[in-house]
This record gives sequence, structure tokens and C-alpha cells, in this order.
Amino acid sequence: MEFQPVFAGAEISIINTLWYLIVFSILLLAVKHYAWGPVKDMMEKRRQKVIDDLDQAASDRKKAEILANEREAALKNSRQEATQILSVAKSNAQKTGKQIVSEAKAEASAIRERAKADAAQAKSDALNEARNEVADLSVTIAEKVIAKNLSAADQKDLVDQFIKGLND
Amino acid sequence: MEKSLVFNINGTGLNVDLVGIIGSTLMAIVVFAICYALSRKVEMKPNKKQNVLEYLIDFTDGIVKDNVEDPAAQKHLSLYAFVLFLFIFCMNQLGLFLEVKVGDYMVIKSPTADPVTTMSFAMMTLLLAFTLGIQKFGTKGYLQNYARPVGFLLPINIIEEFTNFLTLSLRLYGNIFAGEVLLTLIGNQLGPSMGIVTRILAAPLAMIWQGFSVFIGSIQAYVFVTLSMVYIGNKVTQE
Repeated sequence: MEFQPVFAGAEISIINTLWYLIVFSILLLAVKHYAWGPVKDMMEKRRQKVIDDLDQAASDRKKAEILANEREAALKNSRQEATQILSVAKSNAQKTGKQIVSEAKAEASAIRERAKADAAQAKSDALNEARNEVADLSVTIAEKVIAKNLSAADQKDLVDQFIKGLND
Repeated sequence: MEKSLVFNINGTGLNVDLVGIIGSTLMAIVVFAICYALSRKVEMKPNKKQNVLEYLIDFTDGIVKDNVEDPAAQKHLSLYAFVLFLFIFCMNQLGLFLEVKVGDYMVIKSPTADPVTTMSFAMMTLLLAFTLGIQKFGTKGYLQNYARPVGFLLPINIIEEFTNFLTLSLRLYGNIFAGEVLLTLIGNQLGPSMGIVTRILAAPLAMIWQGFSVFIGSIQAYVFVTLSMVYIGNKVTQE
């Protein structure tokens, strides 16, 4: 068993070197054209697509967030509006109620006043009528009495009394 | 000892080693066939074959990106690293399952078990490194880079070019050559030495060593590409 020394056994051959280089460059070009190029292109395209998709997703999410915020704000607004409307309605109702009550009170007192006045009027009317009638009656009675038994003395007495009454 | 198929071209004194030519051509065809088969239907949603190819490309791209910082050089080197890795990997494995011997002549074995092959690839890598370096800094700037970061490192930097070349090529050659020698020894010397008993014993041993050699071949292909990228990365970045 004997081994040849490495460099003595294998003579340096430039033809082999050239052959390797040519084979390698042909292989390089062929692989680039048929396999590496298309696959690398596709990888780049996919990378681009992933980037685009991510960007799209981010912008979509932002949009959704804005929309949600808007909706929330609108909800809050409408709630506030509702409370406002409610409170306005309440105060309006209170005001109207008070007004109605006060108006009713005023009317009632006016009615009472009128009724009082009417009553007083009626009373005084009745009194006056009664007085007139009494006067008439008394005059009639007096005429009758006088016509029956009025003496001269009595007449004189009456006249005196009358004159006295005039003086008072 | 087997003889290798070396022809002398008459009158020129140039040698042609047919073993390397046959092996490398065969493996180039295999690499191309694999890539071609894996990339038939390229789609946005990758199928299984495309996934395999994309994984390989990602793997070699990772090697490039780890060692070369310049983005322009990265783009050029991506394809180079991919093809170099597959080619060297396949050449490393060739001798493990296929060693064809015709008479006394070895016809097919790993081309990378021959220093001429590994030196060719190392030379190609270093020439690429020089080219990219000169492209980036210009000839003057490139030559000035030898005196960086400090001037007295100039001789060391120049010697480093030769040692880079030798270590890059001989590391790969040594590993693959040793693997094949041991495999041949187990099969040809240990196997028949004591009749049927050693033949039976040699079989699992050869199997284990083949498995280990597959591992070594993969690691060496990875190391070769990684170191290539390290050298190129050194040339295209200023210290």
C-alpha cells in the first residue's frame, strides 16, 4: 500500500480549471434563467404583497378606529341631547303647571270677588227695595191712620216734629 | 492504487483530467435538473417544490447577508452563493455513492477530492472578491485598503491573500479526499482482508463512514460558501 504525494500525483492542469469555470458559469446562467430568477421575482412580489397587505390592514384598522370614535362621540352627543331635551321638557312642564295653577288661583279669586260684590249689590238692592216699600206702606198706613183720627193737636204736633227733624 | 484518467494533449504539455471533467459536468447537470424540477410552477402561494427551493435560496441568502454588509454586493452574490453551494454540495456527495472504476482507471469520483477543482473554485471566489473590491473603491482605493487599518499590516495583508486561497481550497479538498480514501480503504483493503468475516464487518463500518461523510460534505460546502462570502465581504467593506 503506497500513497503518491498529493501534488506530484495530480499535475496542475489549466484545462480542468477552465472547464470548471465554464461549467460553473453555464450552470450559473441556466439556474438564473430557469429557477433562481422566477423564484426570486416571486419572492420579491410576495414580499411586496405582504407589505401592501400589512399597510392596508393598518390603514383599515385606523379607519375603523376613527369610525368607532365617531360613533361613540355621536352616541355621547345624542345621550346628552336626550338629557337636555328631557330637562327642558321637565322645566317647561313645571313652568306651565305653575302658570296654570296661578292663573286658576287668580281666576278663582276674581270669581270670588265678583260673587262677593254681586252679593253685596243684591243685599243693598233688596234692602233699598224693602225700605222703599216699608216707607210706602208706612205712608199708606199713616194716611189711613191720619185720615181716621188726626186731631188738630196731633197735626200740630206732627208738623212740629217735622220741622224739628228738618233742623237736625 | 488506482490510476486516474489523465490525458496529455500532444505537443502542448497540458494535462486533462477526465475524472474531474466527467464528475463536474455530471453534477452541474444534476444541480440544474434539481433546480429546474423544483421551479416548474412558480406561484404567489408556493407549492411544496417551490417551498424547498425558496428555503434553499433563503439559506444561502442568509449566509450572504451575515457576511457581506454592502447591499449592492449582496444582490450580486445571492445567485453566486446559491449555485456555488448546491454545486459543491453535489460534488462532495458524488464520490460517496458513485465510484466507477473501469479496469484500473477511476472514472467517476468526487471532483472536489482533487485539489485542482477546489483551487479553481477558490480562485474564482477570490477573483470575484478582487473585482467587487475594485468596482467599489476603484483601483487606487482598493490597493490602499491593503495598508488598512495601519500601514505596517501591508505585508500581512498581502500574504493573507495567498493563505486565504490555500486554506479555502485545501480545506475542502482535504476533507473530501480523506473521506474518500477512508471509504476506499474500508471497501478495498479491510473488506477482503480476512474473507467473509471482515466483509460482513466492513459493511456497517462503510455505512457509518458514508453517513459521516455526507455530514462532512454538507458542512464543507457550507463552510466554503461562508468563507467565500467572508473574503468578499472583507474586500467590499473598508475597515
